[in-house]
Amino acid sequence: MSAHSSIESADRTLAIRDLYRTRPRSRLVRASVVLFAFFALYAFLSPDVAWSDLFSARRRSNLSRFVDHDLIPYPLRDSGFSWSALTEWAGNLMRSHGLEAMAATFWISVLAIVIAGLASLLFAPLGAHTLANREPYGSSAKRSGHDAWRALVGTTRVAAVLLRAIPEYVWAFLLLAMLGPTAWPVIIALAIHNTGILTRLGSETIENLEVAPLESLAAVGASRRQLATLVALPLALPRFLLYFFYRFETCIREATVLGMLGVVSLGYWIADARGRQNYDEMVFLVALGAVLILLTDLVSYTVRRWIR
Amino acid sequence: MDPRELKRPLPVSRRGVVLFSIAALGIIAAFALELSPQDLAPHAGGVEIAREFFSAALSPAIDYEAEFVPDGAPPFLIRTLGAIRRTLVFAAFAMSLAIVAGLALGFLASSGSGSATIQLIARLIIAAARSVHELLWAVVFLAAFGISPASAVIAIAIPFTGVLAKIFSELLDEAPDDAAYALRAAGTSRLRAFLFGRLPSAIPDMAAYSFYRFECAVRSSAVLGFFGFETIGYYIKASFENLHYHEVWTYLYALIAVVLAFEYWSAALRKRFAV
Repeated sequence: MSAHSSIESADRTLAIRDLYRTRPRSRLVRASVVLFAFFALYAFLSPDVAWSDLFSARRRSNLSRFVDHDLIPYPLRDSGFSWSALTEWAGNLMRSHGLEAMAATFWISVLAIVIAGLASLLFAPLGAHTLANREPYGSSAKRSGHDAWRALVGTTRVAAVLLRAIPEYVWAFLLLAMLGPTAWPVIIALAIHNTGILTRLGSETIENLEVAPLESLAAVGASRRQLATLVALPLALPRFLLYFFYRFETCIREATVLGMLGVVSLGYWIADARGRQNYDEMVFLVALGAVLILLTDLVSYTVRRWIR
Repeated sequence: MDPRELKRPLPVSRRGVVLFSIAALGIIAAFALELSPQDLAPHAGGVEIAREFFSAALSPAIDYEAEFVPDGAPPFLIRTLGAIRRTLVFAAFAMSLAIVAGLALGFLASSGSGSATIQLIARLIIAAARSVHELLWAVVFLAAFGISPASAVIAIAIPFTGVLAKIFSELLDEAPDDAAYALRAAGTSRLRAFLFGRLPSAIPDMAAYSFYRFECAVRSSAVLGFFGFETIGYYIKASFENLHYHEVWTYLYALIAVVLAFEYWSAALRKRFAV
């Protein structure tokens, strides 16, 4: 009896081991985990992030002054808490520049993402190997070969990489120096960066399209332009819109922050309040930015579900 | 044919409505911001700045452009590497905090937490953390602590915790849950059922997604430099303001190389997993 059960348990151990050996795993994931662990360990050991500094007496007194005094809306500092004083303070801030800055942030990101969307509609087909070749969706023998089309695809992709790898902030800096402080530098900086991203995502979407409808239309003599505008783009549109809204959400976030460089979005007033050391107002404006982001995320989520 | 298609209430498709609204909003935006096309024309010096900036792209600096370099300053390329190193250190530090906190919050926000109230609270915290940009967190912490690398790290860690927790909770909810049920039925505690029943099958996707966020953290860490922390953005801004465009391009190329390396790695990871 005991011999029998020990055989059974040995069997079970073997079966578990078998399961363990055949479990889904990936070398790449493991390598990534190891790589990240290396970075993290190095970061913890390096003296760059002086962690204990955060708990020094000076930092603590800074923090307690910030929480106990600076953060409290100034009408409430001496007189104690009252709803009417608080709402009057918030209302004044909203009227003097809060609402206007929220609207400016919103419109800046709308215009930026619309420009980026249009530009990437133009560039995405040029970066797709399947469309930009000698005979799109035709006989495979004629598709390959070094020709001008390959150069076109390559150029488009390299350009897209450069556009998106340079941070928006660098574009904004350059454009502010060139154009002066209107809303344009921020709009164009966001548009350039997002054109790079949307072009890459768009090209990938077109390349991953189901080939059957495209090939059959190519077989009955559809031209490249017809294939691109009448078949590929409509088929890719749902994905395009998905990416468009995803980038719109990030645009709102970046437009808020880019204002700190001197353009009238929320960031401008946040930097302004920071300069005057009115931290109560600064945190209020940061919270306004959060509200704007939550609202636009909600709208974009609803629209995405509606068109799915 | 899809029966819904037959009784479509609108003469145009939903996508058509959305496309039209997008175009209309774009035009309204131009008027709302009172933009004028004249402002798009660079002023006299502007063209010169752009020309100098872009021609410097072809000859990035390999040494300081300034005539006077303070004693003890490291060679320029060493300084570039140092800036990149610090950028990575900030990002890795912030990410390791965010992964731990994101796991905890993600568990509480997933259906595994077992209480609708806890789930709701966790989701509210996640929404609040996510909806403030890391640079704005940094500005708030600058006011609270004064300038300190640790405040930059926390500033990145907070919104990244939010994003990770949101994705983690979704991945955990989608993970096969039969093992966790079996463990619960056998009398295991909720936490253990989570740790040994649900977490293991979600781990590969979570690792892939975390690595992708690490790539984003590197970008954020670089950009924090524009606001006074000593990552590469700090040097880009300083060189830009001193009109040392060749130096700017050296920093930019270093940053682009690092970002692209991470991007290709994480793209390869994501190809394998549907994140």
